[in-house]
Amino acid sequence: MAKISAGVATSHVPLIGVGVDQGKQDEAYFKPIFAGYEWTKEWIKKPETKPDVVVLVFNDHASAFGQDIIPTFAIGCGEEFSPADEGWGPRPVPTVKNHPDLAWHIAQSLIIDEFDMTIINEMDVDHGLTVPLSAMFGQPEEWPTLVVPIMVNVVTYPIPSGDRCFRLGQAIKRAVESFPEDLNIQIWGTGGMSHQLQGPRAGLINAEWDQKFLDDLTADPERLCQIPHIEYLRETGSEGIEMVMWLVMLGALTNPKELHRHYHVPASNTALGHIVLENNP
Amino acid sequence: MVKNLKNYKEEFKDIPGTRVFTTELARKGYHLNQFCMSLMKPENRKEWLADEKAYLDGWKVTAEQRDALLARDYNRLLELGGNIYYLAKVFSTDGLSFVQAVSTMTGMSVDDYKAMMDAGGRSPDGVRSIKEGT
Repeated sequence: MAKISAGVATSHVPLIGVGVDQGKQDEAYFKPIFAGYEWTKEWIKKPETKPDVVVLVFNDHASAFGQDIIPTFAIGCGEEFSPADEGWGPRPVPTVKNHPDLAWHIAQSLIIDEFDMTIINEMDVDHGLTVPLSAMFGQPEEWPTLVVPIMVNVVTYPIPSGDRCFRLGQAIKRAVESFPEDLNIQIWGTGGMSHQLQGPRAGLINAEWDQKFLDDLTADPERLCQIPHIEYLRETGSEGIEMVMWLVMLGALTNPKELHRHYHVPASNTALGHIVLENNP
Repeated sequence: MVKNLKNYKEEFKDIPGTRVFTTELARKGYHLNQFCMSLMKPENRKEWLADEKAYLDGWKVTAEQRDALLARDYNRLLELGGNIYYLAKVFSTDGLSFVQAVSTMTGMSVDDYKAMMDAGGRSPDGVRSIKEGT
């Protein structure tokens, strides 16, 4: 049977992708950004941890989708997804390969489980999905894992609540665990942490709030599920709301144990956060 | 979870210097944001840069949105329904990074804004709530 072994969360700041693509990891600005991924890069290579498939929760940033269609929750079921041209040419990264049988199985299970997913076969994937892969795997010829993309609208309000995201994660867990193939699955949550990219309040960072959020991924998940949108917006900036996607990851885990944590300010406009959680069902 | 159906959008207006992309702004900004999306294509970027006014004639943007676009007044564009990830297509076409473009909305110079970020960013203290002044 397929099993979820771990959860990984990370910010998906485009600048991380720039650092990897342009080989800037050793420059003074980038060094502390990349240092915190070293542990994970070693960990994820080990035969006992290396995922067969990553269920990767991300959001599109007006790349594959405009305002014409705005799915709240979507799942990529197509065979592969090319890196999106976000306005300056696609990132020089491998095509993302799906496990379509697993993806369709998850789609079926989620919909029966009352999460009315939008099913996507054709989609280019932007930095929200490719930057986390670059942060964990560097610059391989092919990504060393298959990826089932789960897309969440966190741009056009109302976006789903944190609690709803957590319950989607629980439903993903039920879906994965009923798939007959023996697969080592990881679930990744991406985006955040505190940042605001707009208006006179832009540049907001709330390290104290972010650290408490990281603590409570293991100490008090219930509290995190109850955080309303207004608190994310006030405390972590308008784009800090992306952290609800970490709760999808959290919902798919049982008794998570923290293995590794990284927090650094700034990565361009953003507080960068990254955590690795072991699943203990 | 407590549902705030009635005042869901209202309380967002209490956050200083922040425009949350609510349904009313999405409604207002639809054509503006779709214009921005068109700049994802290189041939459209070329046409836009060659003659911005003529390019905008092909889009159902309002006169106010048009003026704000030509002036690159991003705070005004947010007010008129523009969303930052869409407006990013405009400033990227101008060759500006997120840090450079975002700083123009804060009234700070790019260098001062960068220095603030390097020093840990803008503190939330004093900019959480207009009503409470906290």
